[in-house]
Amino acid sequence: MKEKHTLLGWITFLVFLFLLGPLVIIIGASFGPDNYLTFPPNGFSLKWYENVFHVEMFWTSFKISMLVALLGIVLSFLLGIPAAYALSRYQFKGKGFFTSFFISPIIIPGIVFGYGLLKYLVITYHIPIFPGVLIGHVVIMIPYVIRVISSSLMNFDYSVEEAAMSLGASRLKTFFVVVLPNIRSGIIAGILLAFLESFNNVDVSVFMTGPGVSTLPISMLNYVEYYFDPTIAAISVLFMLMTAVLIAAIERTLGLRFFTK
Amino acid sequence: MKKPAYLLLFPGALFLAVFMVVPIATIILSTFANDGSVSLAGYTSFFTDSYTLGILGTTLKISLISTLICILLGYPTAYYISRTSVSRRGIYLALAIFPLLTSAIVRSFSWMVTLGKTGLINTLLLQLHVIDKPLQILYTETSIIIGMVHLFLPLMIISLIGVMENIDGDLMQAAASLGASRFKAFVKVVLPLSIPGLLVGSTLVLVGSLTAYATPQLLGGKKRVLATLLFQNTMTLNDWKAASIIATIMIAITFLLIGVMNALAKKLNPNG
Amino acid sequence: MALIELKNITVAYDQKHNILENFNLSVEEGEFVSLLGPSGCGKTTTLRLIAGFNEAKDGQFLFKGQDYTKVPVHKRAFGFVFQSHALFPHLSVYDNVAFGLKLRKTDAKQIRTKVMDILEAVNLKGFENRYPSQLSGGQRQRVAIARSLVIQPDLLLFDEPLSSLDANLRVQMRMEIRRIQQELKVTTVYVSHDQEECFSISDKVAIMNKGVIEQLDTPPLIYKKPKTEFVARFVGFENILPMTGSGEGAAPLKAKDGTPFVVEGAAGMKGTVKCAIRPDDIRIAKDGEERGADNSTAGRIQVTTYLGRGYQYVVETAIGEFLVNSHGEAPFGHGETVRLDFPPDKLVPVD
Repeated sequence: MKEKHTLLGWITFLVFLFLLGPLVIIIGASFGPDNYLTFPPNGFSLKWYENVFHVEMFWTSFKISMLVALLGIVLSFLLGIPAAYALSRYQFKGKGFFTSFFISPIIIPGIVFGYGLLKYLVITYHIPIFPGVLIGHVVIMIPYVIRVISSSLMNFDYSVEEAAMSLGASRLKTFFVVVLPNIRSGIIAGILLAFLESFNNVDVSVFMTGPGVSTLPISMLNYVEYYFDPTIAAISVLFMLMTAVLIAAIERTLGLRFFTK
Repeated sequence: MKKPAYLLLFPGALFLAVFMVVPIATIILSTFANDGSVSLAGYTSFFTDSYTLGILGTTLKISLISTLICILLGYPTAYYISRTSVSRRGIYLALAIFPLLTSAIVRSFSWMVTLGKTGLINTLLLQLHVIDKPLQILYTETSIIIGMVHLFLPLMIISLIGVMENIDGDLMQAAASLGASRFKAFVKVVLPLSIPGLLVGSTLVLVGSLTAYATPQLLGGKKRVLATLLFQNTMTLNDWKAASIIATIMIAITFLLIGVMNALAKKLNPNG
Repeated sequence: MALIELKNITVAYDQKHNILENFNLSVEEGEFVSLLGPSGCGKTTTLRLIAGFNEAKDGQFLFKGQDYTKVPVHKRAFGFVFQSHALFPHLSVYDNVAFGLKLRKTDAKQIRTKVMDILEAVNLKGFENRYPSQLSGGQRQRVAIARSLVIQPDLLLFDEPLSSLDANLRVQMRMEIRRIQQELKVTTVYVSHDQEECFSISDKVAIMNKGVIEQLDTPPLIYKKPKTEFVARFVGFENILPMTGSGEGAAPLKAKDGTPFVVEGAAGMKGTVKCAIRPDDIRIAKDGEERGADNSTAGRIQVTTYLGRGYQYVVETAIGEFLVNSHGEAPFGHGETVRLDFPPDKLVPVD
């Protein structure tokens, strides 16, 4: 009985070693002084972190990534919040279909969607790269908005909404004055998740590159084709740092339990 | 009360229809068209060309092996986590979510550092004199599989924890009180009740690994899978026809797998 | 003229089923009317229709003689108190109560006075900075009441406001509600499935069943003289005795075995007449003791249960099975033969 648990404990330990070990290794490698990636590092240096900020390609694509993520969040929330509200609040014909439809961008292979968008928007209709990548990101952010907002609305007592209306608030006013403030933590968590989804995206962005327009992950992919030096480790560590901060923020707003649902 | 629902759904649904459904439908339809007539020529050449067939085979093989490993590692881990105290469970959950939300590129980079000629594995093996020249692990099928497992194992663990947590602890005690050993109780109670989670997790991993791009691109070297072949056909060869065929095959596999999972889930539903 | 009037209202549940059909109700100014009935009888639907949350498929809703059928909720100025209290969780007690006043663009000074006055009226002075999560169930309900009263509503609507509170608090709160209502003389429609609650605070009670008002009367009248079998059963007349009347003047009714029954108010009734009687009102005695020819029958004890204040019996007789309560000390045993007497003034003819 006891033995079995120890065995499971060891398996769990090894699994997490496997999951987190390489991430620790890349942290270590980022401080190495040599021009090639090595672990354990042969010394300590911060020069690769400095270098991250000197590679112009990273800097410009970082700005593109931020712009795409932030505009994408605004658009996906404008489209997603009303839909999430409708799906949680009302009973209607085709509810199951619409729920699946709004979640489907998660299921469609990203690489296929990216390819489709490239062929349809850029090649056929000559839409510039930037709006193209933005549209693609909005599509993949929508399911996250829907899931997070629906999850917060699940605990919302709709009689509160009726109370506001009986006191004289119109439907729209009620939504802004009563519903939104009460799902604030869900909205914050949704913004963080959608941000991560957009900021980390490769499958869609990889097709949407053009002169001066390319997101940060794609610049990183291009960079390693020519150089595989600790700059790449340093930028990875910065990514991980951002991820950790965002996860902590999600834990404080929505709670990590959300992911097991 | 019905009208507001449709009104609220409309903008989002329209957006997805125009920018997701139409592009993908256009691609699928284009693969059957050949100078104005319906034709399956593209598919015939895909399925008779040993190069493309080989890549399809590699892709399937890598995905199946990755999924199997994810099940074998993920199941006991999730079971262990679901039985620890609430506070420890939270820590494990956070530790599993961290890699899940970390960029796939960063995670592939980390394996490039670990598995490379000057990476930890080779350095260690060299110093222990197990080998006398660095092993070629990176840029092989093995490194793709390692990367895939790393990519999807957290997903498997998290979806299994969700299901296993909901299994009432009293059920195990009830089974024990009826004379079942701990192992028997597990086989008779936890296993059947966790099948739905296992099914969902496995499908996510299978579909994900069949269509993942960044990991095989970075860890595969010259080794191609469907996703990287699709990219190569598009961006370097400009062979739109071939790319559309691959895209359609990937969509078909995805929907086929999800369909099979739904059917299985219905059949195996422990609640009958 | 009635303050509110529902005329031939039909409310649909879905395409096929109606919850209310040709429903009529009128409430006078200043009255406290309760809608009472089992779940699914349409009482909450009626209330929500008055509030404007539900739409009528057909019919008319008049308020002070004006057609209010299509007036949206937020233009009605009716206070609504919810079962779940429905306080705004993100606002303090003060802001919850001030919510309606702010929407009415009342000036800040006046808001302050009004909110503090109403909080005092519901005994919540000093709680204005608390949040709903920091209040007890009873306090929350008082905030909910204050919130709907402060807008000086034309009508106050209660939807099972006490059902989430525990028993002691319920009794206390319902007196509070009655007190406030009488002080402010605000017309009130109150929904509950708790008989005692409705009877204790209402001027009039409407007993509803399957979308229809079976009886609308003062509580004592309903309690003593139910008009229909449903109402009779609902208020505790557990025995229904079917009889036939000859239609002639003062001739007694006849049970199925021919036993004559004199029933007050049944003179001249013809055909099948159902009479209801409470278990407490049937007199039970040892058989063999002398009995009159009228209003009496012999029976056998089937089941005996102990109620605390007395015993309850199921008695089988030639004219049916009866539930009878006795306050006697020594209970009758199983199978014992007894005599049942039905006082003429306790038998109530019902539809």
